[in-house]
Amino acid sequence: MHDTLAISRRNALWGLVPALIVLLLFFSAFGIFFLSSLQASGEAGGLTMAHYARYLGSPSERDVLWRTLWISTELTLGSLIIGYPMAYVIVRSASSGWRRFLMLSLVVTFLSGTVTRAYAWLIILGNSGLINTFLRKTGFTDAPVHLIYNETGVFISLLHFVLPFFVLTMMAPLKNISRSLEDAAVNLGASRWRSFFLVTLPLSVPGIVAASSLTFAVALSSFLFPLVLGGGRVRMAANAIYELIFTRFDLPLASAGATVFLVLSLFFVWVFGMLQRAVQLGPSVRQQ
Amino acid sequence: MGAMKKGVSLTIDAVCKSYGDVQVLKRIALDIEGGKALTLLGPSGCGKSTLLRIIAGFVRADAGDVRLDGQSILPVPPNRRETAMVFQSYTLFPHMSVIDNVTFGLKMRQVGRSQALQRAAEALEMVKLSHLADRYPSQLSGGQMQRVALARALVTEPRILLLDEPFGALDKNLREEMQVELRKLQTSLGVTSVCVTHDQQEAMVISDYIAVMNDGQVAQFGTPLDIYDTPQSEFVARFMGGSNIVRADVIKTQESRCALQVGDGRAFQAYAGASAMVSERKAVALAIKPRALQIMDMPPEGAHVNGCMTVSGVVSNQVLLGDSIAYEISLPDGNSLLAEVARDRGTGIHPVGKSVWLYAPGEACVVLEDGINA
Repeated sequence: MHDTLAISRRNALWGLVPALIVLLLFFSAFGIFFLSSLQASGEAGGLTMAHYARYLGSPSERDVLWRTLWISTELTLGSLIIGYPMAYVIVRSASSGWRRFLMLSLVVTFLSGTVTRAYAWLIILGNSGLINTFLRKTGFTDAPVHLIYNETGVFISLLHFVLPFFVLTMMAPLKNISRSLEDAAVNLGASRWRSFFLVTLPLSVPGIVAASSLTFAVALSSFLFPLVLGGGRVRMAANAIYELIFTRFDLPLASAGATVFLVLSLFFVWVFGMLQRAVQLGPSVRQQ
Repeated sequence: MGAMKKGVSLTIDAVCKSYGDVQVLKRIALDIEGGKALTLLGPSGCGKSTLLRIIAGFVRADAGDVRLDGQSILPVPPNRRETAMVFQSYTLFPHMSVIDNVTFGLKMRQVGRSQALQRAAEALEMVKLSHLADRYPSQLSGGQMQRVALARALVTEPRILLLDEPFGALDKNLREEMQVELRKLQTSLGVTSVCVTHDQQEAMVISDYIAVMNDGQVAQFGTPLDIYDTPQSEFVARFMGGSNIVRADVIKTQESRCALQVGDGRAFQAYAGASAMVSERKAVALAIKPRALQIMDMPPEGAHVNGCMTVSGVVSNQVLLGDSIAYEISLPDGNSLLAEVARDRGTGIHPVGKSVWLYAPGEACVVLEDGINA
């Protein structure tokens, strides 16, 4: 009896091996990056923090970090403002036509390739693009409004990119809030708006935190949209690291930057996690 | 609870509602005096919940009117109707404490905080939950949540109290206890109420009037005893439960009176409502309660069976119920009847296979309007 149990345990451990190999492969990339960020340059070798000092000492690199955090925050807020009502309408709308239209436009966005979309935005936002042509034809402006190769274009295209992450994550928590709770509030004398603000919104806060955390993480790691629509003038962290490797060939500095960025990202993941636990444990357990 | 306004009368006037091609409510008309409790009773899909939601204002009626004290409430938005609904799922706000749940409706009515708290405390007292005011809904049992929901509804002093399968989620004992309690509260407060349920027992306990609904129509309206004792249709007889449905031949018609006969039994006169129209039919369906049937070994003769429905049969099964015994009796035509006979220690039990005679007083046999047509 005892032996067979031990054997089956040992066998179970063997089952972990494939997963470990895959994980190690991924993790080794980070490991090598991390190591090269600590390697001293030149023949001498040895470990050094000099690259970190160089990275954090550079105003332009620090600026990129702040920009990235700031744009990601803006994108998260934008997703909340546009995505929350969208998710709400999809979940609650009585008209299945509306629901299907919104879902379809989201999913098509979600599944179409990012490169295609980036270039589509170039065409729409460009100086002789759809929007500028419209503005000129209607006489709003004479000179083109610059919408690409600046933060505006990056923001618009990225918002379009991260929005489905927010909406799709927000839908399940909203669906879990029983419609009859809103009915009950209305029945007790609240207007539809008040019932939303007093009942639905507070109950969906855990969902908002979850959706925001995902959106923020996705936004932080943006690379392609800033590359195409930023035209080299708007750089986010991933673009800056890419540049350090492939145009300045400074692998140690890039590695230091990547490590700092990773730590920063993990920090925010942790903050969102804490926030989520706080709102979820919230009122119902306060008593005990 | 302070002096509650005298209950308002409720009139439901030819209310219709369709979803697509499906007619959910077909010209429903009901009328009850102030302070009375009406129960909409029926199987799922009969339209009872839709009617309740029309009264609450969550569903718009296609046609017809709903009036409280003669005034139409249909133009009034749901949050101004001063109806208070108790939902099957309780719908307590999970992020608010019990006391905040109960004061919610008062807050919406701009009642001052201190007065609201006092009224809420009284309402909680009424449902015996004063000690749980600071708890959150997730910390309550089903019965306690139901009480809070009731307090939350009653504290607003609604013109009409609406209950949607209020005890559906409770276990049997608790449900029965809550039914009695609700009935006491409702009568002592004198609040007009409308309850939706599919449980006929529950309807008996909590109502002044029952409207049995079927397929978007009121199949029968009356007091609980009316409906239990004298169902008008086979549907109501079956839905109220515990009735045998028996075919009887019309053997002689004389003006409004007529004689009936079941199988090979004697001629008798049954209870027939005004609309039963026995004289125009050759055969009718009778509803007979199992407890109204008596079993005899011998053909029923003599004065005490005069005017009784009688029929012969064979005992095909018996179930001991303690105080009584339920017999299944096969009739010669192949149907069977259920008879529930009180048991004394002395009396024997009729064995399976024994030939017996059944009889029941004529007034206990209710002629149904529909059922057998011949």
